[in-house]
Amino acid sequence: MQLGYIRDVPNRKNPKNKPAKQFPMIHQIDTLSYTNRLRKLSPWHKLIFAFTTLAISLASDPRVQILTVIWMSIWTVIYAKIPAKVYLQLLMFTIVFGLMSLPALIVNGVSIFDIESVKLDSWYGITLGNFYVYISHNGTIQAWNILTRSLSSASCVYFMILTIPFTEILGILRYLGVPILITDLLLLMYRFIFILLSTANELWTAQTSRGGYRTAGVGMKSLAILIGQLLQRSLQQYNQFSLGLEARGFVSEFRVWRQYRYSLELRYIIESIVGCVVLIGLNFW
Amino acid sequence: MREYLLEFKEVYYSYMESQQLALNSLTLRIPSGKKCALIGQNGCGKTTLLLLANGLYKPNRGVVSWCGEPLTYNRNYLGRLRQKVGLVFQNPEQQLVAATVEEDISYGLCNLGLPVVEIQQRVEEVLIEFELTNLAQTPTHHLSLGQKKRVSIADVMVLRPELLLLDEPTAYLDIKQTRNLIAMLNKIHQHGTTLVMATHDLDLVYRWADWVFVMDRGKLMLEGSPQDVFGQRRLLEELELGLPLICD
Repeated sequence: MQLGYIRDVPNRKNPKNKPAKQFPMIHQIDTLSYTNRLRKLSPWHKLIFAFTTLAISLASDPRVQILTVIWMSIWTVIYAKIPAKVYLQLLMFTIVFGLMSLPALIVNGVSIFDIESVKLDSWYGITLGNFYVYISHNGTIQAWNILTRSLSSASCVYFMILTIPFTEILGILRYLGVPILITDLLLLMYRFIFILLSTANELWTAQTSRGGYRTAGVGMKSLAILIGQLLQRSLQQYNQFSLGLEARGFVSEFRVWRQYRYSLELRYIIESIVGCVVLIGLNFW
Repeated sequence: MREYLLEFKEVYYSYMESQQLALNSLTLRIPSGKKCALIGQNGCGKTTLLLLANGLYKPNRGVVSWCGEPLTYNRNYLGRLRQKVGLVFQNPEQQLVAATVEEDISYGLCNLGLPVVEIQQRVEEVLIEFELTNLAQTPTHHLSLGQKKRVSIADVMVLRPELLLLDEPTAYLDIKQTRNLIAMLNKIHQHGTTLVMATHDLDLVYRWADWVFVMDRGKLMLEGSPQDVFGQRRLLEELELGLPLICD
């Protein structure tokens, strides 16, 4: 039988149809993981690929790590068609965090009497009272190693989170025999993050439209109300959600069925295997 | 076929946090095979009634019975009852529990412990019936409200209930989506499912329903065909419910 249905028209008058705007990043990543060009590939392959490259990059020297970053970026931006802007933004996070920790590694200080012992290691230094502060040669190499290492691992992990939907990762975890309690909790957290974000968004919009954030002082008060309300509404939603679960016959564990419609593309398989072999080989070259 | 599917007999129910009775000696029988509408002001007990009908709440006093048998409130019985009595919540967010459309539709079937082959077949059927095939793998939080409503009805219909309860299904929907929803409900009705819809849209009730219940402060005030019910102008005026525009 063919039933009628509620057709979807973009509805500008109805604000309920609009996606949350205030918290774009997590929504964007989630959306991309469902809409990217590599969606059709088996999540197993993508996961194995991401972990292999991750392992290779962790064990390699900086040259290979930089190649890994470039190669993974090609996979993410060109093959999976993830917008370069989003991808670069994510990489920037890593770079900024990395750079923040570098000064501690690069800049060293010793007492002025031990100056001889670090002479070989020092590139440039100045004396400050009883201290000799210098830029360390070893420290710089170490910092560079850490930067390339974190960038290359990040590029592998980003490939994973941008191309594999969270629900498929959950499916894999279930298959691998991870306890149901953990997968169910992960699933509920995943569902609730978006409910929570949209609730926060609705509250924030309602407050803004009534002038709730006009000045910093008023804004702080509004924020306090928002956080309190968020807790209360989450509890309310939790109540409703458990009624919903019960109405649908919840029995002790959360089980669903999903269909696997994945395609195998030889081109990607060959490239990933050849690429990994080349990366490993470069380490011995 | 039995004349009445679900019966409420002098049912009392009150929420813990309020002194007022949500249902106050309610007696009501849902005739089988009909398209019923449930009207009344906000807070008159419509939603409470639906939750009791699904066995989610237990009455403080009185009896709710299904096909002449009083409900027993144990897990096994309620599991079977909820397969026969489907409830579509007003807020789809409350009902969509799984991450993707396909998984969400399969959820109720998995709870029944059906074999995988049957689950697959029924999910696929319903995806086609409700024209959700393209959305099958979409995460539920990416759907628009209209789509969520459609999925929440598909969720329940996949269990093939005999009685479908809908709590304000047209809330927030625009005219076009409402029309499509009604077309969908009519097809569901033609396939033999009894429908009960709680709503505020009197025009819709007048055009669509074959049987109308009017509730006020937890009691059934009036029931009958739309013509009879909307003929009782004085009573409706007293209850401050108004009349459908097309009635005159």
